[in-house]
Amino acid sequence: MQARHLLLGAAMLAAGVPALAVEGDAAAAKAKLSMCIGCHGIEGYRTSYPAVYPVPKLGGQHPQYIVRALEAYKAGERSHPTMQGIAAGLSAQDMADLAAYYGAAQ
Amino acid sequence: MKMPPRPALGAVAILLAAVLGAPAQAGGDPQRGKEKAAVCAACHGEDGNSPTPEFPRIGGQHEDYLFQALQDYKQGRRKDPIMAAQVEALSNEDMADLAAWYARQKGLYVKR
Repeated sequence: MQARHLLLGAAMLAAGVPALAVEGDAAAAKAKLSMCIGCHGIEGYRTSYPAVYPVPKLGGQHPQYIVRALEAYKAGERSHPTMQGIAAGLSAQDMADLAAYYGAAQ
Repeated sequence: MKMPPRPALGAVAILLAAVLGAPAQAGGDPQRGKEKAAVCAACHGEDGNSPTPEFPRIGGQHEDYLFQALQDYKQGRRKDPIMAAQVEALSNEDMADLAAWYARQKGLYVKR
């Protein structure tokens, strides 16, 4: 199993495929949304920490941009306590799935 | 022509608002924002619907959120080399006007 993953990784590297390019599945995101919808799924919801302002609308955003934002939170490059905490538990596949879900046109 | 009943009080209120001026408050002028948005359009698109995933869509985003993002870039709480350079010359009023303009465009929506 491990060896197969390594082989796959080596093949991807050889082919010049970026390691983070994961195909997102919007349907698979449905099981991963519970931590998102409590803020991003409520019209006009406002964060109260560290500052009071409305959480951003995600619907229709470029999926690649959503993935980049989540990666930046996970890496600590973008600071928001809640989002850093949530992104820390997301795999590359989770991020791609959530991005595919939120990035879909209305 | 009908005059406002207490012009002096009105002036005091305007003065108070200017002095106390809540920086977290957006309330910009979308038309002025449109005029100031020419430089933004290069990446974010004319109406905030950027044509490439390199740059986020901002059209239709919450006005306060856009204002907050610009403030965060300006104060270094949010780091991005491109945006850091862009906000350097922006006043609070510029940011409020830009936020007002982009928030009124079609684009992003609240997905449940």
